Amino acid sequence: MSSVFSKFSNGLWRENPVLVLMLGMCPTLAVSSSAKNAFGMGVATTFVLAGSNLVISLCRKVIPAQVRIPCYIVIIATFVTIVEQLMQAYAPAELNQMLGIFIPLIVVNCIVLGRAEAFASKNGPFLSLLDGLGMGCGFTLALMALGAVRELIAAGTIFELQIIPNWQGILLLKMPTGAFIVLAFFLAGMNLLKMRKCRKEGRAYEPPEELNCRTCSICKISRQ
Amino acid sequence: MSENEIRMPDTSRLIVSSSPHFHTTDSVSKIMLWVIAALLPVTAVSVWHYGLPALEVIFFCTAGCVAVEVLCARLMRRPIEINDGSALVTGLLLGLNLPPGTPIWICLVGALLAIGLGKMVFGGIGCNPFNPAIVGRVGLLIAFPQTMNTWMTGPDAYTTATPLKMLSDAHLAGQEGATNAMSEMLSQVSYGDWLLLNQHGGSIGEISALALILGGILLIALNIIRWQIPFFYILTVAVFTGLAWLSDSSLYAPPQYHLLSGGLLLGAFFMATDMVTSPVSRTGAIVFAIGCGIITCVIRLWGSYPEGVSFAILIMNALTPLIDRMTAGKPFGAPKKKGLKL
Amino acid sequence: MPEIIYQFYGGVHPPQAKISSQDAIVSAPLLERYVIPLQMHIGAPARLLVQKGNKVLRGQMLADASAFVSAPIHAPTSGLIKEVTTCLGVLGTQLPAVILESDGEDTPAEPLAPIPNWQDSAPADLLRRIGDAGIVGMGGAAFPTVIKLSPPPEKKIDTLIINGVECEPCLTADHRLMLESPDKIIAGMQICARILGVKRILLGIEKNKSDAVDLMRNKTQDTSIQVCALDVRYPQGAEKQLIYTLTKRKVPTGGLPMDIGCVVQNVASVYAIAEAVIDGTPLYQRITTVTGTPLQSPGNWRFRVGTPYAEAIRLAGGVTEDPVKIISGGPMMGVAVYSLDIPITKNTSGILLMSGAEVSQYQSKSCIRCGRCNDTCPMQLMPGILSVQIENESFDLAESWHVMDCMECGCCSYICPAGRPLVQHMRRAKADVTALHQAAKAAKAAKEAREAKEAAKEAKNSPASAPGKK
Repeated sequence: MSSVFSKFSNGLWRENPVLVLMLGMCPTLAVSSSAKNAFGMGVATTFVLAGSNLVISLCRKVIPAQVRIPCYIVIIATFVTIVEQLMQAYAPAELNQMLGIFIPLIVVNCIVLGRAEAFASKNGPFLSLLDGLGMGCGFTLALMALGAVRELIAAGTIFELQIIPNWQGILLLKMPTGAFIVLAFFLAGMNLLKMRKCRKEGRAYEPPEELNCRTCSICKISRQ
Repeated sequence: MSENEIRMPDTSRLIVSSSPHFHTTDSVSKIMLWVIAALLPVTAVSVWHYGLPALEVIFFCTAGCVAVEVLCARLMRRPIEINDGSALVTGLLLGLNLPPGTPIWICLVGALLAIGLGKMVFGGIGCNPFNPAIVGRVGLLIAFPQTMNTWMTGPDAYTTATPLKMLSDAHLAGQEGATNAMSEMLSQVSYGDWLLLNQHGGSIGEISALALILGGILLIALNIIRWQIPFFYILTVAVFTGLAWLSDSSLYAPPQYHLLSGGLLLGAFFMATDMVTSPVSRTGAIVFAIGCGIITCVIRLWGSYPEGVSFAILIMNALTPLIDRMTAGKPFGAPKKKGLKL
Repeated sequence: MPEIIYQFYGGVHPPQAKISSQDAIVSAPLLERYVIPLQMHIGAPARLLVQKGNKVLRGQMLADASAFVSAPIHAPTSGLIKEVTTCLGVLGTQLPAVILESDGEDTPAEPLAPIPNWQDSAPADLLRRIGDAGIVGMGGAAFPTVIKLSPPPEKKIDTLIINGVECEPCLTADHRLMLESPDKIIAGMQICARILGVKRILLGIEKNKSDAVDLMRNKTQDTSIQVCALDVRYPQGAEKQLIYTLTKRKVPTGGLPMDIGCVVQNVASVYAIAEAVIDGTPLYQRITTVTGTPLQSPGNWRFRVGTPYAEAIRLAGGVTEDPVKIISGGPMMGVAVYSLDIPITKNTSGILLMSGAEVSQYQSKSCIRCGRCNDTCPMQLMPGILSVQIENESFDLAESWHVMDCMECGCCSYICPAGRPLVQHMRRAKADVTALHQAAKAAKAAKEAREAKEAAKEAKNSPASAPGKK
């Protein structure tokens, strides 16, 4: 049971697609302008992830390895089409309009394809479904956290609920620039947590490999 | 002379260090203090003209920047280096880049953006790729377009139409409207007044072209800034807008209008010349300045923003490492045509 | 004909502080004990000829050149070889040395035969004499002069440059030498010119030594020597910069002055050459400036090689306050030492004492990219950018930004407002890059050796297969 739950929780925190794997940055930056948009996007992606993971896992023995990517894309596109049709039918028109092109673009979302390739093609349907759900939930939560922070600072609201009365608003956070800034702070926070954990366990903290010393001074921070 | 009278040196406390053993008396804090001194004339004129609103903005920006730097340094557990005065310079420049009468809390947000986001997250002084004061200003411009585009022209007089805004509107009005708007606008300005005391509205630091030029000349004379940057920046803008004006004087304003309006002089003398974010070599400085000039003109003449100095400098800041690499000269005695590969 | 002077790139203007420029050279009195290191030159240590307990005379050869790049060493006075041991060198390393106890007689050895009519002697004889006299570059590098004066025949030398620039602040030894022995220096120049077979002789002197410029101009009126007064700018006396200033030729990267037809000699070396050739005196003494504000009476002395620094300071009247730094050489390129037991060698141009007020102790801060190091680097490098790369240990990157061209003149560190130890960074990178190259070379050689061995083994194992294919 614990291993089953760990498959699900994997996506929530340890391998959170946005904050750890850094996948699906395009929708993350584009539609996290408010918590509501983020929620809509997250749910749609979760549905596609779970569905495609399940189907791909079921078909994994019949798909020839040479053409697996096109096959995955076809399966994913099926689910994306279902989501799009559903949303056009039932979702609020405003949300639908805001998400716009980003719903069809789930087809090429790195998370979906990434999980299909990395997990669903190697595991059974139940675990794959769990993994898809976990990843989707992790994605949704990260997106909603981003969206909530941005919405709060930009308009003083969360889910269109006034939190700070008479907030003048900082338009910057509503713009893509704001997404970059808030995401950067989130990632910095993640690194800080990792650093603390390492220190607690008495290990040396190693900054992420992509942060090249020639351009970055992060180790100057961590050395102290 | 007996042996006893001669005092021999005590060798137990000698310092051993790498050569050279002489060192200039210049220091980072001295350089920063001179920059502040060079900004004092324009600060004084603006405070005298606008009164309290300008003083408030400058004070809170400066104090905010210093406070944010201390706060960030504490958070990052790094030594607090406010003694070098760079936070003061950033704060002063940020204040001079805001409209007089900007609310205090916006000034503080600007300080947070400038020092926090523009400087400390990159590792503090010397590590920031973008000019912190411009990061602050552009951040505020995007965050609070309303506030940042309402200008004081004098005590208790406000306008939203700076000369560049009028120009931009005229451009957007198209050929027909532009001709009328242009002639009306040009009839309103008096270049002499403009040079001494800007009555047309603008940032605090745009108050007096003369005071800016004086400060700039002081810095050039002290070899603190590289003269190539302001010279080629202003020259490029003059040539570019001059050509545009010659091609169609009914649509484009004359070059002197562009030189005196907006933040060009402030940007050219004090913002583009920021050492940390401009190229190291003098050739690089020229490339940098010409780039700044061209981007400024393109934004001013054809962009939707009326002013392009901040954006131009920011964009060229991003290119600085590339320019450094490109203009790294060959060492003395190196064979010809064997430079660095990009 | 007035010489055209070109301007080299960069350079700095440190305070001159040449407080001993009016103090005439005084011969230092005989000491009881001399410590003579067997390596006072670049290259291999000299091979010892004497043993413990031997009696030697002044000017007797104590050690002979042991390799192509090496130089003999002569006894500074007569006495007894007390011990063959080691002594502390300027760089903090132990050098092989002999300790000579003076007998107080100062009896000269049989001198090398003087060559008074050197104008008619064969260049080869003169060269041999210079080699036997143990003359090395006395400006600081201590490269054996005989090698410098015998370029390979394919390199055509057309210009002899004599370096009387003395651009290091504080030092006045060369200045005093030019004022007090101009004739010897001129003779030495002509000997060098005869050896090299060149007509064009240029003597570069900085303008702050106008008395020396005037004197040398007067003395050289009827010769082919041109005396050039140069602007006061450090490092005017650096070999590459001096050649450029006088001839507009650039020494190519990794090359030598002889590649562009120039040979550069220091005035002190030239003086030593004249002494060796005309008087037959080998090099066992030199002029050294002992200076600095903590000293009672700074001045210029003619010290015998092997005099410990402590004796030099005692001669200068001791100190009035305790120095914080003691430097062998000048303040820009000299080496800070921690002991006064170090002996004066053939290339000790000065001993400088700095007081606490003069020593600027500063903290290294982040580079603010002001570009001053860039403007002052005479080798036209980008020291600021290099130092950041070196701090991040990107030595390969630093090498591609030409760190190996650095000559460690110290201009960048001098000018840096952030107090960054740029020269130290460069030295570190140069050492690391050299080590990397040597490691790569060794690895390659080892690999080749291994492959050759394997190939040989294979050939041995199957001797029939190779001819069988024929």
